Amino acid sequence: MVTDSVLTHLLRRGEYLTDGGALCLGGDCPHCLATVDGVAYVRTCQTPFRQRLSVQAHPAGDLPRLESRGERAPVPARTIHCDVVVIGQGPAGRRAAEEARTDGKHVVTLDSGDGQDAIGIYPGPLVVARTNDSMWQLYPRDEIIVATGAAEIQPVAPGNDLRGLVTARATTVLAAAGVTLGRVVAVGTPPEGVVATSVSGELVRFEPAAADPRRVGAVVLRDSLGTEHSHPCDTVSLGLGLTPRDALLRMARGMNVRGVGDVLLPPDVPPCPLDGTVCPCSGVTVEDLRSVHARGFCELDLVKRATLAGTGPCQGAACVPHIRAFLAAQGADLPTPFTARPVTRQLTLGEVAAGAHHVATPRTALDAEHRALGAHMERLGGWWRPWHYGDVEAEYTAVRTGVSICDVSTLGKMQVSGPDAVALLEHLYPVPISSLATGRSRYVLMLDERGYVADDGLVCRDGDTRFTLTFTSGGSTFAELWVRDWAESLKLDVRVMNQTMSLGAINVTGPRAKELLVRAGVTDPPGFLRHGTATVAGVPCRLFRLSFTGEVSFELHHAAADSVTLWQGLMRLGADLGVRPHGLEALMKLRLEMGHIIVGQDTDFDSTPRRLNHEWAVRLEKPSFVGRAAILRTNKLPLDRQLCMFEMDGNAPAEGATIWLGAEYVGDVTSSTWSPTLGRSVMLGWVRLQPGGNDEPDELPTKVSIDGQHARRVTRRSFDPEGIRARA
Amino acid sequence: MNEAVERLVDLRWPSQVKSAYDVVIIGGGGHGLATAYYLATRHGITNVAVIEKGYIGSGNSGRNTTIIRANYGIPEAVRFYQHSLEMYGRLEQETGRDVMHATKGLLWIAHSEAGVRQERARAEINTAFGSKTEYVDPKTIQDICPQLDMTGQGVWPIYGASYHPSGASARHDRVVWAYAEGAMRLGVHVHQRTAVTGFLRDGDRVVGVETTAGSIAAGVVVSAVGGHVTTLASMVGLRLPIRTHQLQAFVTNRYAQAFGPIVASSGLGVYASQPAKGEMLIGAEIDRAPAYAYDAGHSFLRSCAFRSIALLPFLRDLRVLRQWTGVCDMSADYSPIMGFTGVPNLLVTTGWGTWGFKAIPAGGEQMAELIATGRTPALIAPFALDRFANDRTMADRGSAGTH
Repeated sequence: MVTDSVLTHLLRRGEYLTDGGALCLGGDCPHCLATVDGVAYVRTCQTPFRQRLSVQAHPAGDLPRLESRGERAPVPARTIHCDVVVIGQGPAGRRAAEEARTDGKHVVTLDSGDGQDAIGIYPGPLVVARTNDSMWQLYPRDEIIVATGAAEIQPVAPGNDLRGLVTARATTVLAAAGVTLGRVVAVGTPPEGVVATSVSGELVRFEPAAADPRRVGAVVLRDSLGTEHSHPCDTVSLGLGLTPRDALLRMARGMNVRGVGDVLLPPDVPPCPLDGTVCPCSGVTVEDLRSVHARGFCELDLVKRATLAGTGPCQGAACVPHIRAFLAAQGADLPTPFTARPVTRQLTLGEVAAGAHHVATPRTALDAEHRALGAHMERLGGWWRPWHYGDVEAEYTAVRTGVSICDVSTLGKMQVSGPDAVALLEHLYPVPISSLATGRSRYVLMLDERGYVADDGLVCRDGDTRFTLTFTSGGSTFAELWVRDWAESLKLDVRVMNQTMSLGAINVTGPRAKELLVRAGVTDPPGFLRHGTATVAGVPCRLFRLSFTGEVSFELHHAAADSVTLWQGLMRLGADLGVRPHGLEALMKLRLEMGHIIVGQDTDFDSTPRRLNHEWAVRLEKPSFVGRAAILRTNKLPLDRQLCMFEMDGNAPAEGATIWLGAEYVGDVTSSTWSPTLGRSVMLGWVRLQPGGNDEPDELPTKVSIDGQHARRVTRRSFDPEGIRARA
Repeated sequence: MNEAVERLVDLRWPSQVKSAYDVVIIGGGGHGLATAYYLATRHGITNVAVIEKGYIGSGNSGRNTTIIRANYGIPEAVRFYQHSLEMYGRLEQETGRDVMHATKGLLWIAHSEAGVRQERARAEINTAFGSKTEYVDPKTIQDICPQLDMTGQGVWPIYGASYHPSGASARHDRVVWAYAEGAMRLGVHVHQRTAVTGFLRDGDRVVGVETTAGSIAAGVVVSAVGGHVTTLASMVGLRLPIRTHQLQAFVTNRYAQAFGPIVASSGLGVYASQPAKGEMLIGAEIDRAPAYAYDAGHSFLRSCAFRSIALLPFLRDLRVLRQWTGVCDMSADYSPIMGFTGVPNLLVTTGWGTWGFKAIPAGGEQMAELIATGRTPALIAPFALDRFANDRTMADRGSAGTH
């Protein structure tokens, strides 16, 4: 036995969910929409009836409420590869599927009668379908066959929103389902297998029944002599012609898609509508069409946009045939229907989201260690990183006065080797590379062709033809593409290995950093900007001596699998030295005291080395490197603004605070912190140069105000200006 | 009577294409029509043709998500968009037409310390340049938008937001029509279904356009096209620092009004609002790979629906009605390009990326002034094309690639 739809079930009991309108039972019209199981705008003619299903009419005279109810299980998603997808299982679709199977094809069919609705065809080609229990993504190798048939044309005449109007096909279905139809009058093509009185003439109006003003009591037609005839009835069957359900076909134009059956029919053009509602979804009448047309909205798309006809739940299925007829009657060429777009059958956001997931933010190998230590973790530069461990001041003090460790595994780490390694790096970096001795490191800016700073890091020479490069945490993915792209386009013989994920890195920093390393078994720690290898707390490491915090620092690169051993070893061995980890918040403070920039935070899209006050990191005497030509050119232009260091008494302003020279805006703060050591606030910020006057060159303002407080630009940092601590 | 039906605008189409106009504007979208409107209303220049290859508003003007905001990240942009936002507030009064303008307020949500820093900075620079934006805490956020899941599904917790109370929306088509009608009423010709196929040159100078309706001579030619500006510019050998990217969006069915503000999240890369008709309108970031195609993508729809539910769980049971795509001309610094091109008599207004709709009134007004006076107004001088050659780009993080 065929399961009833919700609509049929209710009609059999004489119940209606909507005011009326010509029911089509084909999923095309908007006259059976209701809230089912908490979801509004569900086509009850396409919903199988079952007990305990909650079905409610939409609020009378209002739109459904904006809400979702309770929890709902996630919708499963399936990906299906096959040879052929057949959409629609009417006679043509069944035949097409059978033929393809006979040819040995793996065929998947979608039967809307079984709740399987294609919602769109996307480039791929990809057919996305909603079923009653899951979402399907179908990837057919050979072809897509669209057999979605044709929809029946809706009547446009006054009273077309009454109950008791049914399309001809739907009349047959309802009669077969045992729905009481009463006296049936058939307009146009009569319904099959139903006793009906056929009437002919031009449709004039539907009249309500005396007993029930919401239900049709008669249909009025006009004969060729202009005389109106009223035909009393309980049900009007409307066989007004067919219009193909070809949205999927049109959407998939240019893909390997073909239609079969009624979907290929030329659309019947109904007579020009004279009166009544044309678009039931948006409540657009023939009068509305005349009104906008008379005022210059003459194209189908403009009519649609001016009236909103065709923008409702049925997406023009009901109104487009009539609007086309209307425009043709005004003297236009019969317009083509407007662009077909997904979704062709409606589904919920929850359904369409099936199979999606949040993009995971990577965690370092030490993530569990941080959390066990009570760290507040933050997303930054594409990673989860410890922001602080509950006491930023103590973290800061440990670095400045004792020893501290920091998880810097997120740094971009890359090996570049091969006969042309030097040539590649000479091209990529604005400082000499060939003169860098093995075992030495150098701070580098990475410039793009426009001479703008894209990233910064270290170049460390491991041998004649082997280098280790580091990049910022957020920059490593781009850096790899950048390095590979240049190696490829310059046709250089190099090997590039991105070790960002495979290597962990722990920075050991503070005046007692060396002491801790010695305890951990390092006999000969490398000097400043040198690197070497050692076993630290039992873990083989590469040691890079540098400084971002301003204190003696050793970056220990090691296999990520050993990170926990190394971390715990350092914590244990340094316990009596007061070792404690520091998070990013303390690190920001430490580096800002040193005036070190962070690419991305302190730099902008168009930061040249000159604007960043980093011309010392560029050797223009080098004959060629990426960005050189641009820098030579822009250096001839007057400097407009520069990243400068500021100090002020009192609390640190917010990052992003504006900088003022009297009443004039001159820039904004990019980094800001209170310096416990200096007892005042230190900042980095962009400042615009001011006219010098008296033919003097433009100059940077010295005394400015930030947050209403005086601040002064400093050309030299106050904290360890000679950088003695880092080299100690 | 259906209240949604446009009953005021009366579009008087020209009967024929003249052989010459003082000004020819290529592109019958918001920017082209607003330029024509202000030429006619403010400067008395009415011998103007707007050439549109489709129908008016058929490009990005009719595809955008209608958000009006001025909470940008650099002084020049805040000033410009604030002026535009204020002009939008007066547009109904000025044109006498209902553009369904509504001030809604815009929340830009931060899900991390870095996000908080960014939203605080936005509030600072906006306030300094006359646009209202304040940093708000989670409690205030909940008051403004009770439907937000403050835990972001346990994955994207809400730390804070910048709140831009003057954030607004208007019906995109009605803005286009109000300008078109106003311009045509004063004698401007708008020619639909007319495509430009080339330029008429006299030496270096542009002296008109070749179109599918024949040659048209012009004193000045203005490109106000969207999506294909590089193709058009290449007809005169002009290279623009522009790449074209797809931007997609989708809407649900219509529901009773219950969602007041516009809500955006950089962390999740989505934004949502409920325009006057009642649908929920949801968008995301531009697609990374450049493309001219108007194809709608399933991965966009799936992912965007998923991410928006994480922020606004009530969206889950709403019905998806339709998705669509626009193509955005993204400039190298995420700011527009307006004014002279170096090709005599050819002007551009382009680089409108994902921020074109909100700039229509000010963009049109300023371009009209430039055309009428021959001088670049101060408000748009920073957005001249030669800024790229002069290393004076307008790098604007506040413009994002979303809305």
